[in-house]
Amino acid sequence: MKLRILGFLIILSMVFNIGCSKKVEEDISNKTWDEILKLANGTKVTFYGWGGDENINRWLDNVVAKELKEKYNITLERVPMLPDEYLPKLLNEKQAGTKGTIDIVWINGENFYNAKKQGLLYGPFTDKLPNFNKYINKNSPDVKYDFGYPIEGYEAPYGKAQMVFIGDTAKLDYLPRNHLELLELAKKYKGKITYPDVSDFTGSAFVRNIIYDIVGYEKFINLEPDKEKVRKTIQPALDYLLELKPYLWREGKTYPSTLAQLDNMFADGEVYITMNYTPFHVVTKIKEGSFPKTAKSFIFDKGTIGNTHFLAIPFNAPNKAGALVVINHILSPQIQASKYNPEVWGDLPVIEPDLLNDKEKELFKNVDLGEGVIPQDMLLKHRVPEMRADLIPIIESLWREVVLGNGKNN
Amino acid sequence: MKGFLKNFIILVLILPLLIMFLWSIVNSWPWPYILPQDISFRAFLYIFEPSTKIFRILINSILLSAIVTFFTLLISLPAAKALAFYDFKGKSLVKVLLLLPLIVPILSVAMGIHLSFIRLGIANTYLGVILIHVIPGIPYGVKILLNVFELNGNKMEFQARTLGASKLQVLRYITLPMIMPGLIVAGSIIYISSFTQYFITFLIGGGKIVTYSMVLFPFIESGDRTMASALSVIFVINIGIVLYISEKLVGNIYKNSSKYFV
Repeated sequence: MKLRILGFLIILSMVFNIGCSKKVEEDISNKTWDEILKLANGTKVTFYGWGGDENINRWLDNVVAKELKEKYNITLERVPMLPDEYLPKLLNEKQAGTKGTIDIVWINGENFYNAKKQGLLYGPFTDKLPNFNKYINKNSPDVKYDFGYPIEGYEAPYGKAQMVFIGDTAKLDYLPRNHLELLELAKKYKGKITYPDVSDFTGSAFVRNIIYDIVGYEKFINLEPDKEKVRKTIQPALDYLLELKPYLWREGKTYPSTLAQLDNMFADGEVYITMNYTPFHVVTKIKEGSFPKTAKSFIFDKGTIGNTHFLAIPFNAPNKAGALVVINHILSPQIQASKYNPEVWGDLPVIEPDLLNDKEKELFKNVDLGEGVIPQDMLLKHRVPEMRADLIPIIESLWREVVLGNGKNN
Repeated sequence: MKGFLKNFIILVLILPLLIMFLWSIVNSWPWPYILPQDISFRAFLYIFEPSTKIFRILINSILLSAIVTFFTLLISLPAAKALAFYDFKGKSLVKVLLLLPLIVPILSVAMGIHLSFIRLGIANTYLGVILIHVIPGIPYGVKILLNVFELNGNKMEFQARTLGASKLQVLRYITLPMIMPGLIVAGSIIYISSFTQYFITFLIGGGKIVTYSMVLFPFIESGDRTMASALSVIFVINIGIVLYISEKLVGNIYKNSSKYFV
């Protein structure tokens, strides 16, 4: 009996081993674009990224996937999976040295930093893409650095985001233009203003934005990632946040744990200000009917943090040629313009306006931005770069210690 | 008083579901309105859009969970019977070990299992996902069936054997009908446990096997209450149907069984 089981196990493992015997993958780094197109023809490309927005999902499923099918005969398959979920998978696959299932990942910031450091990404690949060479300003810091970390061709820009605040003009007297006015507003509308906890992506960005507004962003470019040095630099901002704390929702003893919660509180009229990284978010929400029509976005005079989100290819992507073609297509003016439309997504384009011809410029001009938003040129004028990825956890822990913990010992 | 208590309990159980259903068809529901003002069907329109493939994914999930339920029961049945009727060294230890998947969070071992599955070549496959879903189902299956076996005893089976029934006949005419109610209860719980798995499906399935929870969770996370509620309504209906079918089956078994045994 025991022998039979053993035999069965051996046969089973043999069957599986045959199944995973490796095929030699064609190296595409020396191929020309035409050869890559030929290789990609008729293949399937899997796209892994956040799937929590029906508009973005619909745009990828309908617009992008459809065009790829028609133009390149590529089937795009979207899988709703976050970096927290696919990075462990890639890590294990790296350790075991197997072929993967993911062709494209939607990534940026700390996740990119970790993935690249651990060798989970394929590249450099961006110089292979015709649209990248044609439409992207390669010297722009938005394209060269991701949260201050050099990209070196390991990811291609997908879209630009910029922090905006959203206030309900029916309830607020004025929309603040700097941190001091925000404090005044908080004093006036006690308990009606708050921001998400720093464990939330946007909450953390809000705190950085306040820091920039008070001490300026230049100080952080070469700042050592040392806790005491960071503390000294951001001390005025920490003091400000402590001063603000008693006037916040629930006296700042607790904060909404996610931006989603803050958004819902804003929709319910429980607070009067929310914020978002998608600058045209307010249009979508008003159109959807969850935000009041009087909601309006605003930014600080000294600017708000902008960052770029990217597309990358995992080291073991089964269809690298297909991934290159898809990313190249996403960088085309048509796709970038359709993504720019707030009714579709409202994501800022990554391509350089100066590099477009008149017909292509027209595409962007024709997009109707709608009510309550700040136009793109205004946003870009008030755009400050994202902080280096290694400083962010330090700032978050300082906020937890000083602001959330208790303000008394300061 | 008794009637009041009953109604109160029903209300407490039903109310969250009712609110969820309402949320699935409204856009905003601000204070101080008791009833929502702004009805919209955008979530259901999205769900029914063919490009989202939500119904195909739902059917795949139902199928996957059904297969998982079948295999888990297949493993649990002999295990439970052995634990109920045989005495061996370390029996109580085995009983505790069987509950481990409930005690140790599966997330903590999922990474290791994934690595082994990669080596075995069953990562990113349907088989791999079925296997990993079986693990959290086993404690439920064994524990429930164990109690059923212990309650029923094996005297009936011995009697049948003495009267000349073959092993297969005993299984077919005595054991299975007797444990059927327990089998169905265990099956329902295993089904629900499989249907709600999220991270391990991701990790082992690698996104090649997309289940319903994988569509639902991002919307809950992003705080889109309307979408999350609408998807949850379908989630609840699906599980409700499964429970209803099993309840019906149990009812029928009891009706039939009373004719034969009692």
